Amino acid sequence: MALLEMASVTKQFGGLTAVSNVSFSVGEREIVSMIGPNGAGKTTAFNCITGLYPVTSGRVLFDGTRVDGQPPHRILRFGIARTFQNIRLFSYMTATDNVMVGAHWWMKERVWDGAFKTPRGRREERDIEQMALELLDALGLGDRAGSYARELPYGLQRRLEIARALATRPRLLLLDEPAAGLNPQEKNELMALIARMRDEGLTIFLIEHDMSVVMGISDRIIVLDHGEKIAEGPPAEVRENKRVIEAYLGSGASQEARTA
Amino acid sequence: MTDLAVRSPVALLRRVTQPARSMGRRVEGRSVYLILTLTAAGLVLLGWFLPWFVGPFTAGTGFSPQDVVSSAPTGFATVLVYVMGASALIVVLSPLAELVARLRKMTLGVRVDQVRAIAGAAGLVAAVLVYVLVGVIREEPAFGVLSSTTITNSAVWLTMYGFGVALFAYGAKGLVLTRPNLAFAIAALPFGALLPLMFHQAPDFLLWAASSLAIYTLLALGLNVVVGFAGLLDLGYAAFFAIGAYACASLSSPIHGIHLPLWVLIFLGAAIAAIFGALLGAPTLRLRGDYLAIVTLGFGEIIPDLATNNVFNLTGGPNGLPGIDQPKIGPVDFGTSPQWYYWSIVAVTLISVLLLRNLQRARVGRAWVALREDEVAAAATGINTTTTKLLAFAIGASVSGLAGAFYGSMLTAISPDAFQFQVSIAVLSIIVLGGIGNITGVILGSFVLTFVIFWALPHAHEWSATFAHNFNVSAVGNINFPQYTYIIYGAALILMMLLRPGGLLPSRARRIELQTGVESESLAAVQGRA
Amino acid sequence: MNNETEPAAEPAPRAVGAQVATPYRLVSEEGLAPRAPTGGGAAARRVLPAFRAAYGFTSQYFPAILLVAIALTILGVYHSGGLTLMGQQVRNALVLGAIYALIAIGYTMVYGIIELINFAHGDVFALSGFYAIVIAEALGLDKLATSGLGGLLVALIVLFTLSMIAAGLTGMLIERVAYRRLRDAPRVAPLITAIGVSFLIEGFLLVFFGPDNVATNKANWITGNAFSAGGVAVGFKDIFVVGIALVLMFALGAFVRGTKLGKAMRSTAQDRAAALLCGININRTIALTFFIGSALAAAGAIVYSINYGDVQWNLGFRLGIIAFTAAVLGGIGNIVGAGIGGFLIGIIYVFGGSLAGGEWAESLIFAVLVLILTFRPVGLFGIDVGTRA
Repeated sequence: MALLEMASVTKQFGGLTAVSNVSFSVGEREIVSMIGPNGAGKTTAFNCITGLYPVTSGRVLFDGTRVDGQPPHRILRFGIARTFQNIRLFSYMTATDNVMVGAHWWMKERVWDGAFKTPRGRREERDIEQMALELLDALGLGDRAGSYARELPYGLQRRLEIARALATRPRLLLLDEPAAGLNPQEKNELMALIARMRDEGLTIFLIEHDMSVVMGISDRIIVLDHGEKIAEGPPAEVRENKRVIEAYLGSGASQEARTA
Repeated sequence: MTDLAVRSPVALLRRVTQPARSMGRRVEGRSVYLILTLTAAGLVLLGWFLPWFVGPFTAGTGFSPQDVVSSAPTGFATVLVYVMGASALIVVLSPLAELVARLRKMTLGVRVDQVRAIAGAAGLVAAVLVYVLVGVIREEPAFGVLSSTTITNSAVWLTMYGFGVALFAYGAKGLVLTRPNLAFAIAALPFGALLPLMFHQAPDFLLWAASSLAIYTLLALGLNVVVGFAGLLDLGYAAFFAIGAYACASLSSPIHGIHLPLWVLIFLGAAIAAIFGALLGAPTLRLRGDYLAIVTLGFGEIIPDLATNNVFNLTGGPNGLPGIDQPKIGPVDFGTSPQWYYWSIVAVTLISVLLLRNLQRARVGRAWVALREDEVAAAATGINTTTTKLLAFAIGASVSGLAGAFYGSMLTAISPDAFQFQVSIAVLSIIVLGGIGNITGVILGSFVLTFVIFWALPHAHEWSATFAHNFNVSAVGNINFPQYTYIIYGAALILMMLLRPGGLLPSRARRIELQTGVESESLAAVQGRA
Repeated sequence: MNNETEPAAEPAPRAVGAQVATPYRLVSEEGLAPRAPTGGGAAARRVLPAFRAAYGFTSQYFPAILLVAIALTILGVYHSGGLTLMGQQVRNALVLGAIYALIAIGYTMVYGIIELINFAHGDVFALSGFYAIVIAEALGLDKLATSGLGGLLVALIVLFTLSMIAAGLTGMLIERVAYRRLRDAPRVAPLITAIGVSFLIEGFLLVFFGPDNVATNKANWITGNAFSAGGVAVGFKDIFVVGIALVLMFALGAFVRGTKLGKAMRSTAQDRAAALLCGININRTIALTFFIGSALAAAGAIVYSINYGDVQWNLGFRLGIIAFTAAVLGGIGNIVGAGIGGFLIGIIYVFGGSLAGGEWAESLIFAVLVLILTFRPVGLFGIDVGTRA
């Protein structure tokens, strides 16, 4: 069964239709990419899935449960975590604290545990901090655990966002342009990371402009243009698709530049 | 960081030995060191010059700095003074010893900095003990009625304490720099706790310390939760203070014939204020920063208006509620010995500080900061923005409920005048002055601002009259000082925001943030529901 | 497809293999299990949609609800005091509303251009009242104004010109000193300095003019009844107050719509960066906005002085909040809206106070402020000029 299912989702802003009657699904342990020219409605679709935008019509199903119309924090608790296109870390929290915020919703510590430092609360704080440090280490952020998120270089900020998302114990991870601004080596590391996360059981759905990344890791590709889905299929198929080539024709040059 | 998938045990070790927030601490540590040094210097100077300055006016007898030395107490206290002297010698001479050792290329058998730290701490302890002894035995007030003897003796002990703080700050410099909050607590707590011994013949000062200093510290701590931790600018905080105070006053006065004891009222007041905090916070949940500020301002104006207009005949109108109980526990009558108020409210404040600090470092505290930094990202990371905000409002308000319970009882009567907008602004000024989001800073800010506004200004007339008399400058003799209160608030807010937005003790995050300005839109705005 | 993923997947196992015996998992196993989300009680989930629907309804029909409430209040006054009382209150409401409108425009202009709630604006109003007293005293205008119609006209022109210039310069000074440096800081930072400026002005007024009411000596500048209808006496003063307000508002509207500076102001309000790229001097435009807003507050202050006869050091605080309510009511950033909002608030203040008792009038306005910001922050007309991405 599909883990995530979009059924005829439409999102309008006033008179503008950003996502128009889009349907697709993402299966468990799949890596699916969503591509499309700028302004095609990719990020809007992400925001509809994660509850940041209420959908105008249609349904979003996660593991068979309807999640659209729920507040973002509840949708996350179903198991949908995400990163943002323009990195949204908690700038003036340390890297560790950023990751620990990810554990917020499943921690058992209550307010009084925190206020009175009950043994239960203290134990959990220690465990969560340990978890955060290990996660940071695993993502190569170990020696920057004490830095404020804002002080990290761009590539590490992207990675920290993924660490925060992983700490929320997701089943599905939405990555919004994770390779943007990364150098070739970092891109390779990113692809390795995505593959590893999938191997460990995570489902990954990403928006990406970089074709080397998209073609390199995707099981399937969904193409949006002007808010509509114009193609869907394995990379080799999508690459040959007429409508996709048409949609990209105007921006072919810049696409090559990105791939380089 | 290149080996993405490999965990680095070395980094883990480094991380464990070097606390995550150590960088922030060191910056703050320097400020605390500076503040302690300045305080020590100020106390010493005050002790030496104040008697000399007021002496001729009050008694006509001259006063010289030697008196500070010669009026040392007798008996056991003398021993303590010698202990202080010895520790001072160690602290001062230890760098010399180090220098000599280095010149002769010898290694000393002991670590000099450790010895120095112990000597510094011993000096402070000795000063505190002398302070206690003098307080118990000689019963000399300060800041009460001006007379040469009272001033002299108080001055001696202020000087002693100044020396003690100086010894501690310099001797245990390492501690001050690495654990600034602890160092601040060590230096300030004995002074605060023993104040009644020092001033127990000056009940005015004690009552002031309890009813202004401690109350405003509590209020600032509470507002700090809302403004500092969660980043919600609340301009009507006095409303919750009013609700707590009126609720407690109604339950411990002849008005309804209910007389609950103070320690019950503390909890009741906190609970009632917390409920109202959440209720009045609810309409602001979707608003962005500045609108939220104005809505809370609206509530802050409506609540005292309700009290003034005697709503439901509960509030007694413009005259307020009189005859509030003052607790009597056995032989201790709070009404006649205000030091008991002082001690109980200091205890309550300390407990609040500890609880709030714990909260700040726990799950909820992280959620608040996350909310302050980026509401959208916080929601997308699983934080329930609604309950987290309401919790901040409720907990912030509950602290003002504590203050409200004490306030009515201490003054035996409350009226709407005590809860006007300027109270909210005074509390906000304290936070801005001390350092938004920083508990130590907030306490420091309340010491400074409350002392200036509620003690120095009302009493400045006496001092300026003395000055006018001594130096024959009649112009300064009749200045109406309290009317400068507003100018001081205004100047504090403007100057701090422009020049040092992080306050006297900035938490590092806050300092950068207010300067460079990151701001996230509210979740509701993103969702198109605001 | 698989050919392409495999080389990329290789480094991960190798890296983990280099580690200790149990491989570290990035992905939590607990997280992968299917689950229903916890937290957020079932009761809350049942209540919330109804709550949200009620909120949405109130939000959408807020203008209608408010207008119905105002109409009912007016009817209530009619019911209790008849046509005469109603007529008198209409006159009072218009006079009060005109003053609120003049102040509200200053709030709305500043908010429109730099998104700052200029908390000190009310105090600039009060300060201008004292400027007018000082200027009139220094130039002997009070004597001139009572000497005849010609004298009155001259006195008014001189007083308006000088006070408005003085207040305008004060506004520019405040912007330069307290706000400009914080223009790119988060919204609440300049709001805090604005409160500081407010307290500073009140403090200075308190020190220089004392805590008591100060007579403006202008209550007798304009006297006499223009006409009376149905027992309602309308004085020349009332006509003057409303007339001045309307004239100034229309003049401002023409200025903003018609002149180059007005266009600069509008474009700066729309998008500061783009305006800068088009060669508009942002600093000058913002300073000009403060000048005009403060000058209008000064006009309001003179009108107030003439109408009510005395001013206090802290007059600006509550009056400022009330005028700000008017600005929000009309949709903050919207100049015409601020004018209409001013008159509406005048009506609510006077009629609400008449019905509920004068001591409740201000609470009523503050309640309106809370309600409108809660339910409809864009104002009655729903044009959200203030919000931009």
